[in-house]
Amino acid sequence: MRIVLGIKWVPNTQAVRFDPKTGTLIREGVPSIVNPHDLDATEFALKLKDKFGGRITAITMAPPAAIMGLQHVIGMGVDDGILASDRAFAGADTLATSYVLAKVIERIGDVDLVVFGQETIDSSTAHIGAQVASWLKLPYVYYVEELVDYDESKKEIVFRRKLEDREEVYKVKLPAVISVAMHSQKPRPVRMSYKIRAKLENPIQVWTNKDMGLDPRCIGLKGSPTIVAGITWTPEVPRKKQVFKGDPKEAVKWLIEKLKEEGVLPF
Amino acid sequence: MSFDPSVRKKKKVDCEKLCPEWECRQPGEFEGIWVIGEIEDGKIHEASLQMLTPARDIANKLQTWIEGVLIGGDKEALEEAAKEMIYHGADKVRIIYHPDLKVYSADQYALILSEVAKQVKPEVIFVAATLRGREFGPYIANTLRAGITADCTNFDVDMKTGDVVMIRPPFGAIMLAHIKTPTRRPQMGTARPNVFPVPERDESREGEITWVELDNVPPKRTFLEEVKIIPQTEVPIEKADYIVSGGRGVATKELWSLLEELAKELGAVVAGSRKAVDMGFIPHEKQVGQTGKTVKPKLYIAVGISGAAQHTFGIREAGIVVAINKDPDAPIFKAADYGIVGDAKDILPLLIEEIRKLKQQSQKSN
Ligand SMILES: Cc1cc2nc3c(=O)[nH]c(=O)nc-3n(C[C@H](O)[C@H](O)[C@H](O)COP(=O)(O)OP(=O)(O)OC[C@H]3O[C@@H](n4cnc5c(N)ncnc54)[C@H](O)[C@@H]3O)c2cc1C
Ligand SMILES: Nc1ncnc2c1ncn2[C@@H]1O[C@H](COP(=O)(O)O)[C@@H](O)[C@H]1O
Repeated sequence: MRIVLGIKWVPNTQAVRFDPKTGTLIREGVPSIVNPHDLDATEFALKLKDKFGGRITAITMAPPAAIMGLQHVIGMGVDDGILASDRAFAGADTLATSYVLAKVIERIGDVDLVVFGQETIDSSTAHIGAQVASWLKLPYVYYVEELVDYDESKKEIVFRRKLEDREEVYKVKLPAVISVAMHSQKPRPVRMSYKIRAKLENPIQVWTNKDMGLDPRCIGLKGSPTIVAGITWTPEVPRKKQVFKGDPKEAVKWLIEKLKEEGVLPF
Repeated sequence: MSFDPSVRKKKKVDCEKLCPEWECRQPGEFEGIWVIGEIEDGKIHEASLQMLTPARDIANKLQTWIEGVLIGGDKEALEEAAKEMIYHGADKVRIIYHPDLKVYSADQYALILSEVAKQVKPEVIFVAATLRGREFGPYIANTLRAGITADCTNFDVDMKTGDVVMIRPPFGAIMLAHIKTPTRRPQMGTARPNVFPVPERDESREGEITWVELDNVPPKRTFLEEVKIIPQTEVPIEKADYIVSGGRGVATKELWSLLEELAKELGAVVAGSRKAVDMGFIPHEKQVGQTGKTVKPKLYIAVGISGAAQHTFGIREAGIVVAINKDPDAPIFKAADYGIVGDAKDILPLLIEEIRKLKQQSQKSN
C-alpha cells in the first residue's frame, strides 16, 4: 500500500510561556517536537505497512528545521520524507497549508491512503485532513482508531472509530484520507539502526516552490482567506476566591458550611 | 455603532488577485446566516441547536436572517428537526433531501452542502464542532475555498465592514485571537458543544421550510457498516451536575481511589486534567479544558489540579468551583470560589466522611 503521512514539527507547548507584559509567546529555548498526535498517525501507518507491505512517505510543510521531525518518524520505520519548504509558503492558514500538502501528494502520485494526526498541539484546528481530502476530491474519515480489514484487490479498507457515544465501522474506497484519533495507538520508539540508515541514505527531499511551481496567489499569506485581526486577553471569570489554610478538619467544616450556604449540595 | 447594510452590497474583490483555483465570488452578493443542523438517531443534535445562540446575536448585528440547513434521506426526521430549529430561533429552514442520503457520509454530504451554498450564498456558515462536524465542516469550507475558524468561543461583527469576527483561543487559552475573512464569503466558524447554551424553545415560532429535492447525488465512498451505541453507564461530563476532577496531584492509585469515593458519595462524575489523561487515569472523553470538554456543573471540585489556563478554560460556565491543592500559590485558587490549601491525602478522607454524614442525615429526615 502506498501511504503518505502528514506530520508537523511543533514547539513543545508544554514548555512554552507567555510574556505577561506583551502577551506574546516566548519561543526562545523552547524545544520542538513532532506533534505528539502525529506519532499515533505514524504508528497507525506503520502497522498497515507491517501487515500489508508497501511504502510510507512522510510529508510536512514547514521551515527547514522540520527536517528533524521527518528524521524522527523515519527513525520509527517510515521509508522516506518530503519537506515542502519555501519562504513563499509562510503565513499560510489551513486552506493554504492544505493546498501545498495536496499538491505534494499529487506530485508523489498513485497514493492509496493519506494519514494525518487528529490535531496539532500548537493550533489544534483538526482541519488539515478534511481540507487536503477536499483539494484531492477524496473521501475522508476523521478519528479513526483501529484497522479492521483491508481488501487489496477491491481497494477497500475498513476502520473502526469511536464517536461521543458510539462505535462506528466504516468501509472506505481507496484512495482516501484519514485522521487517526489521539491516544489511540502506542507509538513505537525510534530505532538507532533506522536513524543511522536515514543519515547514510538521506531519504529526505526538500521541495521548494521552484520545484512545485505553485501560483503565488494560492500559497502563504496570499492564499489564506483568514487573517488574524487582533489578540486580546481571555477575560477572567469572576469567582469568590476564598481560601482556607490551616487544620484539615477545620478546613473541611468550613467548606461544607460554604457549600450549604450556596445550596449546591445534592442533599 | 450599528451596521449599515448597504456596506454589505458594496464589498468587492479584485478577481485578478485571487488564486485561480478559488472561483471568484463577490462578497456583496452573500447574505444570511446558515446553521447546519446535524441529525443523529433521527433527532437534531443539541450542539447544532446551541449554534443558534451565536447565530442570533450575529444575525441581529448584521440585520439579517438565520437559515437552518438540514440534509438527509428520512423525511419525517428532517421535518421534525426543521421544526426544532425554528422553535429554537431559526427564521427559516432549508431541507436537502434524497432517499440515498439516509446514512451520513462526510464527503458526500459536504459536496452537496457546498453546491447548495454556492447557489444560496449565505454570508456566514456555523457548524457545531462535534466529531462529525469536525469531519464535514472543514471539508465544506475547503470545497468553497472559504475561510474557516475552528473552536470559536465567541463571535462578533466588525460594524465598519460587516465582517464576522471569529474569536478563539490560539495556542493555550490565555490569549484570544480575533480572526476575520474580509475578502471571502461565506465565512465559516465552528464552536465545540456546550460553549453556547441552547436557545429557549418556543413552539409558537414559525418559519418557512423549503425542500430541496435532489435528482441525483454524488456517489458514496464511505459506507457505515456497523454502529454500536455504547451504553452510557454514567452521565457524560458535559451534562453532569456534579463533577469531581483530579489532576497530577492525585495521580496515584491510592489518592485516585479516594477521589472516586468522594465522587460516589456525592453522586458526581469523575473528570480530570490533561495530565490525568496522559497518566492513564481517565480517557480523553473525560478531560476538561481547551482541548477537552467544556463543562457546566452546579459544583466542580478540582483536586490536585494546578489550574493552567487551558484547564480552567473548560470550567468557565461551572457554578461553584472548589479547589483542593497543597500549593498555596497554585493558580487554581484564583479560578475557584472556595479553596482549601492542603494535601489531598488528608482532606479527601475527611471530606468523604462529612459528606457521608450529611447524606445520612438527609436520608433520616426524609
Ligand atoms: C495547547 C494546550 C492545550 C491544553 N489543553 C488542556 C486541557 O484541555 N485540559 C487540561 O487540563 N490541560 C490542558 N493543557 C495542559 C495544561 O497546560 C497543564 O499542563 C495541565 O492542565 C496540568 O495538569 P495538572 O494540573 O493535573 O498537573 P500539574 O500542573 O502538574 O499540577 C498538579 C497540582 O497538584 C498539586 N498537588 C500535588 N500533590 C498534591 C497533593 N497530594 N494534594 C493536593 N494537591 C497536590 C500541585 O501543587 C499542583 O498544583 C493544555 C496545554 C496546551 C499547551
Ligand atoms: N504543516 C503541516 N505539514 C504536514 N502535515 C500537517 C501540517 N499541519 C498539520 N498537519 C497534519 O494535519 C493534522 C491536523 O492539524 P491541525 O489542523 O493543524 O490541527 C496534524 O495532526 C498533522 O497530521
